Amino acid sequence: MKMRGAITAVLAAAALAIPANASAYRTWFEFTRQSNLWSPLTIATDYGGGFVTTQTWRAGSGTSTDACWVAHGWLPTGWYDLWGHWNNYDGTIKGRVFYLSNKPCWNGTWRSELFIHSEETAAQGQYCPTAYDDPYCWEGDYDYHSNGCVKVSRAGNPSDLRLVHDGWHSRSGDYRHGSFGVGNFLYVRG
Amino acid sequence: MKRIFGARTAAVGAAILAAGVAAVVGFGVFGAHGAVPRTGPLSVHVGLKKPPGAVVRGRTLVDEKGGRRELGAAVSGSMMGPLSPVAVRSSNGELIAYNTWQELRSVDADRSFSAQGIKEGAALGVPSLRVLDDQGKDSVLARGAYSAAWRRDGAIAFVRGVDPVFRASPTYAGQVVVRESVHGRDVSWADVPAHYVVYAWAGDRLLFYRIGLGEKTEMLVADGPGKIRSLAEGTAIAISPDGTRVAVLSEDATSVRVVDIATGREQSWLDVTTATPSLRWVAYSGSWVGDHIVAPANTGLAVFQVGPDSLKLEQVLGLDQAQFPAGVQEPRFVDDSGNEIAASADVPPANGSGGVSFLLECDRVARTCERTEAAPAKDWLRQVDDTATRRGGQ
Repeated sequence: MKMRGAITAVLAAAALAIPANASAYRTWFEFTRQSNLWSPLTIATDYGGGFVTTQTWRAGSGTSTDACWVAHGWLPTGWYDLWGHWNNYDGTIKGRVFYLSNKPCWNGTWRSELFIHSEETAAQGQYCPTAYDDPYCWEGDYDYHSNGCVKVSRAGNPSDLRLVHDGWHSRSGDYRHGSFGVGNFLYVRG
Repeated sequence: MKRIFGARTAAVGAAILAAGVAAVVGFGVFGAHGAVPRTGPLSVHVGLKKPPGAVVRGRTLVDEKGGRRELGAAVSGSMMGPLSPVAVRSSNGELIAYNTWQELRSVDADRSFSAQGIKEGAALGVPSLRVLDDQGKDSVLARGAYSAAWRRDGAIAFVRGVDPVFRASPTYAGQVVVRESVHGRDVSWADVPAHYVVYAWAGDRLLFYRIGLGEKTEMLVADGPGKIRSLAEGTAIAISPDGTRVAVLSEDATSVRVVDIATGREQSWLDVTTATPSLRWVAYSGSWVGDHIVAPANTGLAVFQVGPDSLKLEQVLGLDQAQFPAGVQEPRFVDDSGNEIAASADVPPANGSGGVSFLLECDRVARTCERTEAAPAKDWLRQVDDTATRRGGQ
């Protein structure tokens, strides 16, 4: 039911969205905050005529459920634009990443520099040099924690990250990389 | 004038009161006073009329004697949340620096920038620091600036934006500057533009954060202008009273290290997930008095005991999650013995009502708290951080 409401909202907002690709199907993500370590991330595509398909993965965000807690709480609710997508990002987070627009939380605190990503190297590999929690190595469930970003698993083959990444490209028809804008890319609720 | 601790909606008040009563009943016997602080739930009651120390809310300051003053602008921690205090008192006690936010255009947080016609680079607001003196004079310290810390000699450090205007763009880049006095000139201590937040002085050393992608936090220490080194990845819980050590929280919020600030050497370490009782996480911006540290924790509050080379979890204080689902922030010891703790508690919006804030004052031996009436969260009801004053007077 919630998904249906969100789909209605996104269709209404689609006219305002930044065009991604004239031949693309409208595609967006939804993140439903349930817990920091287990919240569904859904990709939805509107093929027209009321035909919308979805696929869902487990994801996580933050350490606390206070969206106003910078670098600690999960991300605030609402719609986010996409500010860029990279396959081999090489910052403090690496690999396949989706850069989200900034967002004020409910007391006005700005949350910024948030992504959808996982734990992998810039070359999309795994780097696991220690027996502890390595930042570019998906060891297990605890890696769903973040400072606020949405994180998906890098485990398995294909990994959820790969499915998220490939799903975005194939469904949206948008194969751009680098800095660019897509309106209403992610909706966060809960 | 708006009341500092005014009544809010009856529905929320009743709900909170009901939750508080339920918590007391549910937890059983509370308030059994003992000499030794023990782990257990906190019993929270309405009735805190005057929090210890000065507080700010909206455009009002209430000083430690209960006197009210109108501020030149409303307080706001929008640029840093709890990473740095919203208002800080100078070491001589005469000045209060506070953070403000001037909105240039309203932003509907539920909608995306694009859906509101907000293009990349659009001006959204201007953060500024203001100073109120003990004569009531209020003035702008710096426009396009946020997160302030007073040094014991009256110098003030803060972040000054390269562009004063906060825009709809990825990073609000700034420099860390130190002004020798309120009317002095700014000396840059961190030149390279980045997303910084000033935390506090540790003697003559300045501790501040560099916020990276994914809000990754790196704690930096400046020994002087341009003399910057990385102290740790993570955040600060508190600086020791003598300014030589800092309790550092790991990036994943599960371990605490006590680090010598001068050398960066780790003196002690504790994994809170394997401590007794175990915790899921602790959070930054706590307080250190004597050999005790208090920090927010997933259950409520965690109190640590620090030795020369040891760190142990002494007490865990539980808050009713139904009443305070987001726990507490910025807990401070308000007495020298480390038994009284004051903290902010934000309650996120729920069921159509907006987010609200409380101040709590807790006795960790009796495990009881008194709280203020609720204030709208956007009023930023917060304690004025007087750490510099207390340490300046020692």
